[in-house]
Amino acid sequence: MTELHSHDHITCQEVVELVTDYFEGALPADQADLFEQHINFCEGCDWYVDQMRTTVAAVGRVEEEDVPDEMRERLLTAFRDWKRK
Amino acid sequence: MAQVQEDQQSSAAAAEEAELLARLRAGDERAFESLVESYHGTMLAVARNYVKTRDVTEEVVQEAWLGVLKGLDRFEGRSSLKTWVLKILVNTALTRGGREARSVPFSSLGPAGEDESAVEPERFRPPGEAFAGHWNAYPGDWSSRPEEGLLGRETIDVAKAAIETLPEAQRTVIAMRDIAGCSAEEVCETLDVSEGNQRVLLHRARSQVRAALERHLDD
Amino acid sequence: MIAYKFLRPDGTSPFTGFRWQLPNGGPGRWVDAPVEPCRSGIHACRVSDLPFWIGRTLWEVELDGEIVEHRSKLAASRGRLLRQIEAWADDLRDEYTRMCANRAHELVNSISPPLTAWDAVVEPSIPEGPALLGFVAARIAEEISGPEAYHEERARQTAWLTERLELD
Repeated sequence: MTELHSHDHITCQEVVELVTDYFEGALPADQADLFEQHINFCEGCDWYVDQMRTTVAAVGRVEEEDVPDEMRERLLTAFRDWKRK
Repeated sequence: MAQVQEDQQSSAAAAEEAELLARLRAGDERAFESLVESYHGTMLAVARNYVKTRDVTEEVVQEAWLGVLKGLDRFEGRSSLKTWVLKILVNTALTRGGREARSVPFSSLGPAGEDESAVEPERFRPPGEAFAGHWNAYPGDWSSRPEEGLLGRETIDVAKAAIETLPEAQRTVIAMRDIAGCSAEEVCETLDVSEGNQRVLLHRARSQVRAALERHLDD
Repeated sequence: MIAYKFLRPDGTSPFTGFRWQLPNGGPGRWVDAPVEPCRSGIHACRVSDLPFWIGRTLWEVELDGEIVEHRSKLAASRGRLLRQIEAWADDLRDEYTRMCANRAHELVNSISPPLTAWDAVVEPSIPEGPALLGFVAARIAEEISGPEAYHEERARQTAWLTERLELD
């Protein structure tokens, strides 16, 4: 777990390193509190966290590849062979 | 409330999986075809972690399915079907990947080097100065942009291109988590990596992609 | 127990986006949210927590069920909004911002040589509002006199809010 420089507040530089842990719910309660306090008063970090959310959303829209026709045929054949046994 | 929902989801997923298995064992071709389709992206992402060449990754995925068929009758359901299929895939990649195959040295995952910072240190006030660690200049407010631009074709292509330049391990993790929608547990089990390391890889990957989007959007 | 909560002007929570039923002739509807070991439950402020969570609108809340005291917030398994603290509006927010800015200037000049580099952010931060200025003042206090001073400055901010908002 990340060691913070202070128990009472975190910096913007720390925020950008903690954001993934925050999204994952992996920050210890105290750190999550400091994280939220910080984005509450720091507009820049609020925007950065929003950028990371948008990034995740954009990645989520990247299309997955299709099964190539040849592979599909070969696997179906194999399945039919397996079925018969 | 959240815990109850989670339990309901996992028992719904378990029921779905049991039904799918029954259909497969009964020889339902459609069931097999749609399983192959739905896992394809994930399997390519995982294979790419162990094997570089595109052709070889596809061969490995195909081999893995043959292995799945061989073992399907004996599959006891102790792990989820997905985890089991992916484990076969990993083993196939390691044994059949030939010269190309490599064990991923996750144990050698060190702390972030200078170039692994989520944001370049120069963008923050330097140590020892007033309000050290705070932004010199704020990053952009993307919320004021129309969503069609933010999540449109161009942006998605930029994200895709950025992912393709990531180091293998980061690429695999972000593809599994954010494209294929695998859970953290599925990633950790499949790649044999700790939760903490998985998060570090995800963090580095997402930070790189954000930076690429920023370069594109803030021009 | 009675506590306080900042919400966005549309009645949603700033972190979860959860939409609260606003009081209308009577309290808003009860909301249930189990308190797990780490985080969750309904978050609310004791008076001493207010400066850490400054938001656009302020509400009095009633908490019930399991209530856990964290370092700078409460987490409860049940809560409902009782009434808006209407005194917390733009005018008072601006006054608070100015109060914190003045404190920051005062602190900066309270030592020799003055903390000029720290002072430089104060006025440019004003547009960002009360939450930021509250932090700036407390942080400067800490820079001069250590972590205790950070909390003392926050306690001053609490005292100001308690008085001006006529909280118990």
